[in-house]
Amino acid sequence: MTATTMPRQATAILVIEDEPSVSAFVRAALERRGYKVVQASSGAAGLQQLEERTFAGVISDIRMPGSINGADVHEWIRKNRPQMASRIILISGDTANSETQKLLASSPTPCLEKPFRVQKLILMVEKTFGKP
Amino acid sequence: MRERKTISARRPAAAPGRKTTGRPKHDYSKELMELVVEAANSRVLPEFLRGFAERAAEMLDAEWAGVGEIVGSRVEIYSRTTDFPATEKEREWLAQGLRRRRPGLEVLPLMRTGQHIAFYPIYASDAELMGTLCMVRKAVGFSQAEEKLLAALASHAALSMEKVRRFSQLERSKKQWVEDIDAISDYIAVHDHAWKIVRTNRSLATELGIPPAALVGEPISSLRHIAETGSALPCPFCRDTREAREEYIATSAGRTFLVSTSRTRGVTEEESRTIHVLKDITDRREAERRYRELFDSIQEGLFFATPEGQFLDVNDALVRMLGYESAEELLRADVSAHLYPTQAAKARLVSAIAERGALRNYEETLRKKDGGLLHTMQNISAVRDALGHVVQIRGLMLDVTEQKMFQSQLQRERDFNQKILNTTQSMILVLDTAGLISYANRRCYEAGYRKDELIGHRLVEWVESSHQKDFDAALQTTAHGQQVDNLELRARRADGSLGHFSISLSPMRDEANQVNNVVVVMTDITDAALLQAKLAHAEKMATIGRLVSGVAHEVNNPLAAILGFTDLLLENPEMPIAAREDLQIILQETQRTKEIVQDLLSFARQRPTQKEPVNVNAVLRQTIKLRSYDFSSHGVEVSEDFEANLSPTLGDAQQLQQVFLNILNNAYDAIQESGNHGRIRIRTRRAEDDIEVAFMDNGTGVVDPERIFDPFFTTKQAGKGTGLGLSICYGIVRAHGGEILCWNNEGESGSTFVVRLPAATETALAAAVKEAGR
Repeated sequence: MTATTMPRQATAILVIEDEPSVSAFVRAALERRGYKVVQASSGAAGLQQLEERTFAGVISDIRMPGSINGADVHEWIRKNRPQMASRIILISGDTANSETQKLLASSPTPCLEKPFRVQKLILMVEKTFGKP
Repeated sequence: MRERKTISARRPAAAPGRKTTGRPKHDYSKELMELVVEAANSRVLPEFLRGFAERAAEMLDAEWAGVGEIVGSRVEIYSRTTDFPATEKEREWLAQGLRRRRPGLEVLPLMRTGQHIAFYPIYASDAELMGTLCMVRKAVGFSQAEEKLLAALASHAALSMEKVRRFSQLERSKKQWVEDIDAISDYIAVHDHAWKIVRTNRSLATELGIPPAALVGEPISSLRHIAETGSALPCPFCRDTREAREEYIATSAGRTFLVSTSRTRGVTEEESRTIHVLKDITDRREAERRYRELFDSIQEGLFFATPEGQFLDVNDALVRMLGYESAEELLRADVSAHLYPTQAAKARLVSAIAERGALRNYEETLRKKDGGLLHTMQNISAVRDALGHVVQIRGLMLDVTEQKMFQSQLQRERDFNQKILNTTQSMILVLDTAGLISYANRRCYEAGYRKDELIGHRLVEWVESSHQKDFDAALQTTAHGQQVDNLELRARRADGSLGHFSISLSPMRDEANQVNNVVVVMTDITDAALLQAKLAHAEKMATIGRLVSGVAHEVNNPLAAILGFTDLLLENPEMPIAAREDLQIILQETQRTKEIVQDLLSFARQRPTQKEPVNVNAVLRQTIKLRSYDFSSHGVEVSEDFEANLSPTLGDAQQLQQVFLNILNNAYDAIQESGNHGRIRIRTRRAEDDIEVAFMDNGTGVVDPERIFDPFFTTKQAGKGTGLGLSICYGIVRAHGGEILCWNNEGESGSTFVVRLPAATETALAAAVKEAGR
């Protein structure tokens, strides 16, 4: 990782979402507003991206198949990239889930409940990561 | 009667001659001695007294002398001559004079003749006036010597009169005695040392058919046939002639005599007498024999005892009963100490007898000779003396050991059965085949039923009307001999509430194997049934919750894509108007789908988002206000029955409001549908650890209260509701740790919803306040 690549790369937003249609919609909405988007289809793939480079922010689904879910990603960032801890937006399709509730209750990390409107997504992204 | 100038007795011619001779007229002492001899020999008083009077006249030169003997109120005059007294009047006067007591000599003039009459009293040794000596004489005075002679004569007369009187008394009493002896009905025979009969009484002579005198001199052995005594002596009634007294029983030819013998010893052997008295005691002996036979042969124990309980006589049955060898052994003084297991028991018996006199069916445990216990039942009576002291007790004793053991075993079994009946948690009743209750165990009464509403009533009256047919059928089955197990039905409890009961009916048969009774065991399983239902419901709801959660998640992903891309399409300004309108519809329906999914998630949500003290009454009032316009414009009457100072619950006021609103809406819809004049009654109260809110409406009621909280279960027209309202309520209330229930009102239209929320404890409240302030 070099200092010259940092600013350019830092503008990208990492979207970790196993559902391709949701991932595609989020990417389309963000790109239309000038954000760069990197997609990861699982928690493990997301962590790999996070280890390789830096992002302007991370949008992650909470419930995902595989050994690493949104909560684990959130926990990894808080430990390994503390400067990124306030640049996370979680997405949940199931806020009734007790683990999800526990996670949301224990941190100030914002959460978008599926389904959500484009305007709401953009508002939260601008507020959390800033404008592109 | 010839007239005479003077009283001149026909005196012996010698008398005047004596006067002239000059010799001493009389040798008084010699003449007195002669009198004594005469007196000693005389047995007949009148003769003696006449002679005595004559001699006295001679001795004292009297013309006439006589002795008056006082016999009761009469005076008998004895004299040799009869010329005085001459008249009846004179006799009367003389008699009075003779009867009069006087200390000594009294001389009175005799008017008619000019002579004098002298009286001298004759006193007995006890100073009784027995009579008076009197004489008529010319000479006026009595010399001192003559007066002394008179005194001596009087005392001689007294002695003789006393002796003769005594003698005649003896004669009389002797005669009386013979009469007395003859009056005795017992046989009396007296014999001398030569075995000759000296006397018998009339009874014995009559028995033999001869006069009493005829037996005198006969040998006593001639009386042997009267009673055979087995004596070898010449007298059949003598046994031991050395004894002064003898007494024994003699029998013969069906008769029994008590022979009492006395012997008198005379100065010589000839004078000794033996007196036998034979008392016929045949009747008494027979009575005694019968009594003894009864006493000995009767199977019940009989006894005579001292007031202290010491046996005096016992029968064989009692001896056997107490395990002794013989009556003698049982009568030994030290037996009573062994007989009573405790001295207190004996003391109790003794004092009870002294107090009451007789004891009926007195139960007492005695100790047999071998130490074994004997349970007895006794009837005892006391014999008292004239002062009322108990002198003897008599009793009859029955051996009731077997009955006692049987009885106590029976009692134990009965107690045991009673205990089972009384301690079981089930109500047990016995019905006759017509279904009338004849017995109910204690549990029934503990459950609040009264005896008068059970016994004699039909059990089916307590069964809920819709279940009565089932019960009667079961009763019929049992009456035909078949058992019915675990029939579940609703019945009225004592307080009028309906309970869920499990009922088993068993036939009870009589000796002829006919079913005559039915035993009913009823168990109130309301709590168990409720719990079962609640558990099943909770499990169902949890399953639905998991399903809904999964479905919602899966639906949310595609929904997110649909909503997202629709938004993106609508952002495109090149989109034609027609397509834009279609996209708006997609957007709208997506939104609706989103809401449904969110409702589902609310139902499945596990915990309330907030936990703060909530005043349930206040939340209810706010909720009612939200609908008050609708209610009043449609004539729905809402009544509030809120418990003041109701404890708060911990939770989310918004969510609870949603619950109450949902229930109210539901009630409102049900009322609208029924067309009734609507009434909704809302009541809050503390129920143990919960706060209970009840909503009672008079609407159409609920079709299926069991499924009312299931998601998508709705009876409303399509489009009017998603069927998730009450499911969400259920989820919220569960998330608050409470419960929500629904049932149709008993006996009236409408339904009741009850929400129970845990009342906040002091510590929970304090923790929540601290949490909120952070």
